[in-house]
Amino acid sequence: MVTIQINGKLVQAEKGEMLIAVIRRQRIDIPALCHHDAVEPCGSCRLCMVEITKKDWDGWSKFVTSCLYPVEPDLIVSTHSPRVVELRKTILDLYLARSPKSEIIQRMAAEYGITQTSYQEVPDGDNCIMCYACTRVCEELGCNAISAVQRGHKKIIAPPLGEPPVDCVGCLSCANICPTHFIEWNDDNGKRTIWGKQFELVSCKICGKKTITRDFAEYLVRKRNIPANYFEICDDCKRTELTKSMGKIVIAAQEISK
Amino acid sequence: MEKVMQNDLSKIADIIARNPKEPGSLIAVLQDIQKEFHYLPCEALMETARVLGVPMSKVFSVSTFYNAFSLTPRGETIVRICQGTACHIKGGKLIQEQIESALNIKAGETTPDMKFTIEIVNCVGACAMAPVIIVNNDYHGNVKCDKVKNYLDGK
Amino acid sequence: MRIESAKHLQQLQGEYSADLNRFPQKVLVCCGPGCLANGSEKIFNEFKKILSAKKIQGITVEALKKTGCHGFCAQGPLVVIEPQGIFYTRVQVKSVAEIIEKTLAGKEVIPRLLYVSPENGRKIENYKEIPFYSNQMRISLRNVGKIDPENIRDYIALGGYQALAKALTTMQPQQVIDEVNKSGIRGRGGAGFPTGRKWDTCRKAESDIRYVICNGDEGDPGAFMDRCIMEGDPHSILEGMIICAYAIGSTSGYIYVREEYPLAVINLQKAVEAAREYSLLGENILDSKLDFDIKINRGGGAFVCGESSALMKSVAGDVGEPRAKYIRSVIKGLHDKPTVLNNVETLATIPVIMNNGSDAFASIGTKKSAGTKAFSLAGKIKNTGLIEVPMGTTLRKIIFDIGGGIPNKRQFKAVQTGGPSGGCLPESKLDLPVDFDTLTEAGSMMGSGGMIIMDDRTCMVDVAKYFLNFLVYESCGKCVPCREGLYQLYTLCNNITEGNGKEGDLELMENLSQNIQIGSLCGLGQSGPNPFLSTLMYFREEYETHIREKKCPAGVCRSLITYEITDDCTGCLACIKVCPVSAITGQKKKKHFLNQQICDRCGSCYDVCQFNAIIIK
Repeated sequence: MVTIQINGKLVQAEKGEMLIAVIRRQRIDIPALCHHDAVEPCGSCRLCMVEITKKDWDGWSKFVTSCLYPVEPDLIVSTHSPRVVELRKTILDLYLARSPKSEIIQRMAAEYGITQTSYQEVPDGDNCIMCYACTRVCEELGCNAISAVQRGHKKIIAPPLGEPPVDCVGCLSCANICPTHFIEWNDDNGKRTIWGKQFELVSCKICGKKTITRDFAEYLVRKRNIPANYFEICDDCKRTELTKSMGKIVIAAQEISK
Repeated sequence: MEKVMQNDLSKIADIIARNPKEPGSLIAVLQDIQKEFHYLPCEALMETARVLGVPMSKVFSVSTFYNAFSLTPRGETIVRICQGTACHIKGGKLIQEQIESALNIKAGETTPDMKFTIEIVNCVGACAMAPVIIVNNDYHGNVKCDKVKNYLDGK
Repeated sequence: MRIESAKHLQQLQGEYSADLNRFPQKVLVCCGPGCLANGSEKIFNEFKKILSAKKIQGITVEALKKTGCHGFCAQGPLVVIEPQGIFYTRVQVKSVAEIIEKTLAGKEVIPRLLYVSPENGRKIENYKEIPFYSNQMRISLRNVGKIDPENIRDYIALGGYQALAKALTTMQPQQVIDEVNKSGIRGRGGAGFPTGRKWDTCRKAESDIRYVICNGDEGDPGAFMDRCIMEGDPHSILEGMIICAYAIGSTSGYIYVREEYPLAVINLQKAVEAAREYSLLGENILDSKLDFDIKINRGGGAFVCGESSALMKSVAGDVGEPRAKYIRSVIKGLHDKPTVLNNVETLATIPVIMNNGSDAFASIGTKKSAGTKAFSLAGKIKNTGLIEVPMGTTLRKIIFDIGGGIPNKRQFKAVQTGGPSGGCLPESKLDLPVDFDTLTEAGSMMGSGGMIIMDDRTCMVDVAKYFLNFLVYESCGKCVPCREGLYQLYTLCNNITEGNGKEGDLELMENLSQNIQIGSLCGLGQSGPNPFLSTLMYFREEYETHIREKKCPAGVCRSLITYEITDDCTGCLACIKVCPVSAITGQKKKKHFLNQQICDRCGSCYDVCQFNAIIIK
């Protein structure tokens, strides 16, 4: 354990733990868009930046992303120093110029007193904020179906060659992790469409409800050693079946005890 | 995207085989393919991904990230216009406009007859001769606006 | 040929040196980038053709050398005759036979080809007497222009690899590091981190594998020092790398070269192959038990790959996106192993420190910035080219004494140093000594050594816009302040140059700049606003004139200017010939007419007019 100071308060933290976790445990609200516990941190949104210093730094301080900065002994952290707040304002202002229609951006910006961007709205700006959450979760799952392409201001998230991605299994992890709900998908008539690729949905043998995509089921069977028949029945029916068999067991047990 | 010929496919296989079969060879392989075809054919990207064991998404990322790569076929003659600082203040922009109007295409584009492609490069390190253009592999220094046509004609 | 030991190397140096000097005269043809652009390859081939056909006064074709950059690009193509040091400028193919006949055979100098002093019109025979050369001190460029870079024997003949031999046979690794430390050398790539300290940290980092990488991704527009070393003296880089490998305990190295430098790639490749053939790379180098080899990686053309973590990702075959560096790459670098990344010029300097000792090196330059530094001079300066001077030399001396000042009788306005991370310094800062710290304090930075000189026909708002455009294009796009912030900074700057600037824009831009500086993930973004901030610091009124009066004082921003022909026009037709859009009409000896509807305000007429008859309004 190490002791650090956050906004004047002494706090205990695990060695090697990232600052953001310690700060949030203190119920201090610091914004972040690219940070997600399910994936490796990448430091692209810069919103979780804090000012750090130490007693022996002679008044010198620096700005670091708390999601990527491991705790060190004797660290003095300010999560809302005037410079940090100013920086967050600028970043949210820039986001607002890029994604003016995004509700989460509007809300976060408003919390920092910004309701309209100071800059020129980006032509063709969309709600993708390039946080890489989708590509990271896709990589984590081992599919690597989508990635960041081009560079700089032209950078977008896209499937290879802009075509329906061969490696995509239609698991929806990317859409679910996206903080601005930018990744579109739909389930219709037993088919799922995402990234321009269509998937067949597996039907429950008992109730006929659509569950996951066949590609995803096969992927899990292949890569995670899950029994092939596992996805034949939906979770609800599995529970019903389980209850039924539990009931039988209870009745049988009562019979025996009689 | 254009389809490549059968004999090109074997060429692609040869190029990939020249490099160690590991993900770290990705950039080198793509550079070699670019050198041979002057662009990266779609089939080459897929073959590279397969042989090196790299996800296709990464191959696509890398091939769109670096300036050296193009995913569309280029013209026979590649006119590279340097826009380094020295070239800029010595009128590089003007040279670019002249070349663009002479070939009737914008930088980054290829003429419909596939004869010329204009590319912008951020400094080729021949600043002492600014402004500089490179027609295929021939450097031309102290380029004059009214002589642009001569360089394109190979004079 | 396998070099068995340090002693064997010494013996070979004697042999090769005698071999190199067996001819009474040598012909050195400069084939640096500038001279090549001016056709020096043809000149070399002409010499080769004639000298292959017949022997002249004991001189065969082997006395002819195709060398790297001689530096004085403005006067190229250059041919130097040694040992006399005769310096021929602007040589043409048709002069070659004459040089052979008169100078080589007849020992006669051809006055027509000599450099003419602009001060007194005197023709100078020996290059050492030309101020451009006499004011220099060459350490990293010591061999560039003197040797055939494709021939390892030339390098060995001039004492090459002796520093390596000395380190391997007489010093412990830690002693090598101490020596580098004591010399005070700091990284020549721009950041100026003490090289010895970097090596020391890497050596002490716990690991089974360590890497040495040479950063040859010279991306700053306007800089070509590293290119000239890689092309003109590749073995000096290899020697520096092998010494580093010995010091830190590495067996594997990489050279990351820009693909835009094809000759550098070829010459480095040849050098690596030759070094392997001579067993200077490979196993048990000079019988010292040191194993080390080098692989060459071609860059893909991304400026951000000059940044250490991006470069290492690129070497590993990945997209060159920097990572957050709470752990430095010297501890966790390439493939997560401790890695020393040094710039070309730094590595090429290491052998000199080993040979002459740290004290000798530390005595050159200033206290905090030891040694010399190479600079490339370009832009609106008479003597464009490549130079090397002791640290602490003033900008004035570099620009006016060595560089010869501003051509076409125009006024000096600013010097841009440090590339897109640096800034522009005005006349009032010309007496500052050039070193790592002084220029940074003045709002610019020394950087890797590119110097672009600007005259009064350069608009500083346009220069800032140029760099911002460059950075927007080159940003990797990973973090928001850099990707969106620099884009907005560029948009605001562009508005100003187009006459759409508003009151308050400059303040908004200043505020945005400060936040980009502290908020960006890597050096590209952190230093990205510098070209804007430095021009704003010294040329604020120029910005204000653009915004308030909608005028560009330098006459560059096209939306804000018109050209007019005055009554001073003599009717010489010069502007008519040069106008790319045929906007000017008129007859000889009659005042010409400029059609404002057609004119696209390029300024070609203004630059060509000898009579100041074209004015900017």
